[in-house]
Amino acid sequence: MALQPDIPLARHPSVVYRDLAEGGVLLHLESGEYHGVNETGLALWNLLERPSTPEELRAGLEAEVEDAPAQLEQDVQAFLEALQARDLIVVDPA
Amino acid sequence: MSTACFGFRPVSELSFAYLRGGSGEPLEIREHDGNGADPGGALVAEWTPVPGRRSWARLYAEDGRYRLWVEGGGTFRVDPAVPRIELPVGLEPEVRREERLWGIPALLCFLARGDLPLHAAAVEVDGEAVLFAAPGYAGKTTLAAAFDAAGHRVLSEDVSCIRLSPRPAVVPGPAMLRVRRDIAESLPIPGARELAVGDDRVHFALDPERRGDCTPLPIRALVFLRPGDGDLTLEPVSPADALPDLWALAFRLPTADDRERCFQAIAMLADGIRIWNLERPLRLDGLPAVIERIAADA
Repeated sequence: MALQPDIPLARHPSVVYRDLAEGGVLLHLESGEYHGVNETGLALWNLLERPSTPEELRAGLEAEVEDAPAQLEQDVQAFLEALQARDLIVVDPA
Repeated sequence: MSTACFGFRPVSELSFAYLRGGSGEPLEIREHDGNGADPGGALVAEWTPVPGRRSWARLYAEDGRYRLWVEGGGTFRVDPAVPRIELPVGLEPEVRREERLWGIPALLCFLARGDLPLHAAAVEVDGEAVLFAAPGYAGKTTLAAAFDAAGHRVLSEDVSCIRLSPRPAVVPGPAMLRVRRDIAESLPIPGARELAVGDDRVHFALDPERRGDCTPLPIRALVFLRPGDGDLTLEPVSPADALPDLWALAFRLPTADDRERCFQAIAMLADGIRIWNLERPLRLDGLPAVIERIAADA
């Protein structure tokens, strides 16, 4: 399912996060799929602690990041699509 | 003299060929004669047979205890909480049975103790452990044998027991090497005693004078053995990039709790040691250069 700006997303319940010396990593405990995350990715993952739409995530990240880059929306979209491709998030969890 | 393996001190009337010196936590090992009437339990893992390489095996769990059935080898009963391992009787030579004992049954016991089982060989270099991690038949044992021949102590041949705290360390395992026949003919292992010859491997018990004990050795490096084009290269790997391979090589039970335990353990390991990708020439005459490079740079 393509991500829609107004359809909420949530962390997959079988995904865990671990900090590493350089960034961190998400792992799907059932499939073994993983995704490395940088500081921005971690901020998004933290925002996903409660189900949020891509639009809410973008706004939340913009509020956290000083001098947000012009392509922030595209970056958020790309990150979320990468997570979705690995089944690390669920769409419309309700 | 006290003897041990993987940090366990066998409490048993049986004799063993692959123990090291030193001591450890008591591990009851005894025989059982119930090959025909084993209870049920949930199937938690299965290893399909690979002719000449791997036996068909099934692992069942019930109330925290395990039963490992091996085709032709019988049933091993494991109670990690005691810990205790019961061995089948009269189906295979004792040496072969002991090799199976130090596989999955012992692994389940040190897993319950909080250690991480990793599919890797390990050798001692300047008082620290260097791990060679790779799937089966990637050259782990040959490289470990070459290090042994060069005077380094072999700590594990196939599965390594990783203790994560206070800093990542290898707890030495059985003092054995099961070397490919062609390698065994060309690469003498000093002081080792040949105990068996299998379909494609010669089984050696390592020189008792060089086995050392089971004191954990801090990990100096983990080296992934990669297929290459014949050149010798050693490149660093970031912790994040190492995780998928460590995940594939770490043993875990198929439960959410154990998967998470495994993930946290390999992440802690990846964060705490140096990790490398090794490509090397797959020739015996190339081994000295590989050893020199790993000992110097890894």
